[in-house]
Amino acid sequence: MKENEIKCKDVVNHICESLGEDLNSAQCIAIKKHLGECKNCASYFKTVEMTIDFYKKYNVELPEDAHDKLLKSLGLNT
Amino acid sequence: MQEEKLLISLAKSGDKAALAELVKLYESTIYNFAFKICRDKEKAENIMQETFYSMIKSLNQFEGDSKLSTWLYRIVSNHCLMGARKLKSSNFVSLDEIEDDENNVKELAVDWDSIPFKSTENDELKKILDDSIKKLHPDYRVVFLLRDVEGLSTEETASILELTVPAVKSRLHRARAFLRNDINEAFK
Ligand SMILES: [Zn+2]
Repeated sequence: MKENEIKCKDVVNHICESLGEDLNSAQCIAIKKHLGECKNCASYFKTVEMTIDFYKKYNVELPEDAHDKLLKSLGLNT
Repeated sequence: MQEEKLLISLAKSGDKAALAELVKLYESTIYNFAFKICRDKEKAENIMQETFYSMIKSLNQFEGDSKLSTWLYRIVSNHCLMGARKLKSSNFVSLDEIEDDENNVKELAVDWDSIPFKSTENDELKKILDDSIKKLHPDYRVVFLLRDVEGLSTEETASILELTVPAVKSRLHRARAFLRNDINEAFK
């Protein structure tokens, strides 16, 4: 894929930053450049990041009695 | 990590206190991950229990060349996916049509920065997040959760789910696009 051929579609299909790929590959550099120029893709990228962040921060506490119940069911309680 | 290795070798030799320590180290991670897949606290507790039961039963097969957490993620994922296979696929959205859809990039219905309930402590947002991810088939859900939410690498995710790296990427991108668009609709 040549640098100047990056289309919005490619950006959606290939957000390298969070895919843990080589950030300096020609394709990633082209995508970053596109994100800097295309408002729609930049907003897509940002809201995907926000979506991930929402789910990351949504955590639950282990119920108070769960630890003891668990050890008991596993026969590990002392 | 050194401490974990010691605990594992003690646990393998039948040391109950070491097993209990390992359980304590991972119970919160496993409970949360199970909850994130099934979105149900009672189920999450059951899955956590089954996961540690499996861990104890087959700890001797754990080679130690991967992290114990990775191994546990695999057990949880298997338990959850086994349960999900019993569900009808019509319960979930079809993601086949999402593939390289330029419409995904279309302008937002609302400016996400102006959403008044952005804090994840907010019950309204929690409900939106639950509703959206429940529409995703668990095969997609688990890829999104391992890779994006738990922060595992694409390769680790592929190995846990016995998928190829391109399959992980494809499911990940569809799951992300679906969730982001579904949440965007809910924000309207
Ligand atoms: Zn674009």
